[in-house]
Amino acid sequence: MSLKAYFLLPIYILSEFLFLALTLPSFECSRAVQTPDSGRLHTVESQFLHSRRVNMSQYESNFYGGGGGYLQGGSPFSQSGSPGGVRRTEISNSLRPFTIAQLNKATQAHTDAEWRVDDVEVGQVTVVAQVVTINRQATNCVYLIDDGTGQIEARHWVDSNEDEGSKWGGIQEQRYVRVTGGLKAFGKKRYINTIHIRDVKDPHEIYFHTLETITVSLIHERGPPNQNAQQKADGSGSSMNAYSAQAASGGLSDQFAHLPPLQRAILKFIIDQPPRDEGIHVALIAKAIGASPEDANKIGAALDKLMDEGHVYTTIDDSHFNVSL
Amino acid sequence: MDTEKGISPRVNSARLANFVGQEIDGSRVTVEASDGGQVNVQALPNTDISETYIEVVGRVQDASTIQMHACINLGANLDMKLVNDTIELIHDPRFYSKIFS
Repeated sequence: MSLKAYFLLPIYILSEFLFLALTLPSFECSRAVQTPDSGRLHTVESQFLHSRRVNMSQYESNFYGGGGGYLQGGSPFSQSGSPGGVRRTEISNSLRPFTIAQLNKATQAHTDAEWRVDDVEVGQVTVVAQVVTINRQATNCVYLIDDGTGQIEARHWVDSNEDEGSKWGGIQEQRYVRVTGGLKAFGKKRYINTIHIRDVKDPHEIYFHTLETITVSLIHERGPPNQNAQQKADGSGSSMNAYSAQAASGGLSDQFAHLPPLQRAILKFIIDQPPRDEGIHVALIAKAIGASPEDANKIGAALDKLMDEGHVYTTIDDSHFNVSL
Repeated sequence: MDTEKGISPRVNSARLANFVGQEIDGSRVTVEASDGGQVNVQALPNTDISETYIEVVGRVQDASTIQMHACINLGANLDMKLVNDTIELIHDPRFYSKIFS
């Protein structure tokens, strides 16, 4: 901080001269050296400068306004926390099956925003479709694909080190392929930035993909199957991600079906509580599941067993447990 | 309407009649479609129909005839009941406009 002060002071004096000469540009200049750490420093300096410039009332509000902005993290660089400016959620790493019609109907709030289909965020996409045309270039390959619901381009950037045969993966026109990648737009044209493309070997995959697309769409609409009535009433189905959806539903019975009843009861109890980073205290678990002291021992043993198998983990101390999903 | 959108929905013989004049995408149409109905295909010259099950993309001329645009061989083993059930789901009003067109 103090080092920065030594650096900033000459710059500030310099900008002070510029300020007198150019006013607004110098303000921009002093902004450029701004870092979040030096925000307080600037305020002190600005008060100092302000006291020397009491008669320059026309700049006062401008100057103070800018200084206040620093303190609140109002800089265009600090606001979003990342240079890209878009906060990425874990959904951006998920993979969902789509028809091309759905991708062509997907919406985007602005060019950097995430894509949405039926108001659900889209991460990576996978489609099964027929190759209509192939346009091979030196660094990339553009496949026009059609799945009967529409057409879209799949652009595949190829590694120039690979040999000719494996480079194009033996993809031929008229054949069915599975394409996996991210949905992108260039101008008004949409394409799949293809990470992986391969031939469909078994024709059942075409129909499997259609059915899977319907299934996933229904899960987003209604929540996962086996969901109990109370969670349905929450209406939270469409906004849930894969993890919370699983945690909130009857996913328990499938995933932990092989466990003894007591261990399942413990897991169910933890999952049914409102999610908290610190997890659930063992006393709460014991209170909810067992009453007698022997029960407490059994619960302790069951928790040890669950921990050994990686189903639960301790959080802030050895008495708080959370479920690993 | 669907022709304007440039889509070619999968159909069986029973659904063919709904798509007269439009691009469709049928399965194993030369003799028998996935629902067991008969469909006539006007094949392109030199079409490679070499396997038991094929998918024909073409224009529906009337309720039982397709003018072939393309043909895709789907091998010797294909569960026609699964194919037909899938086609029926595609045309289910709950899904057709939302997912498949």
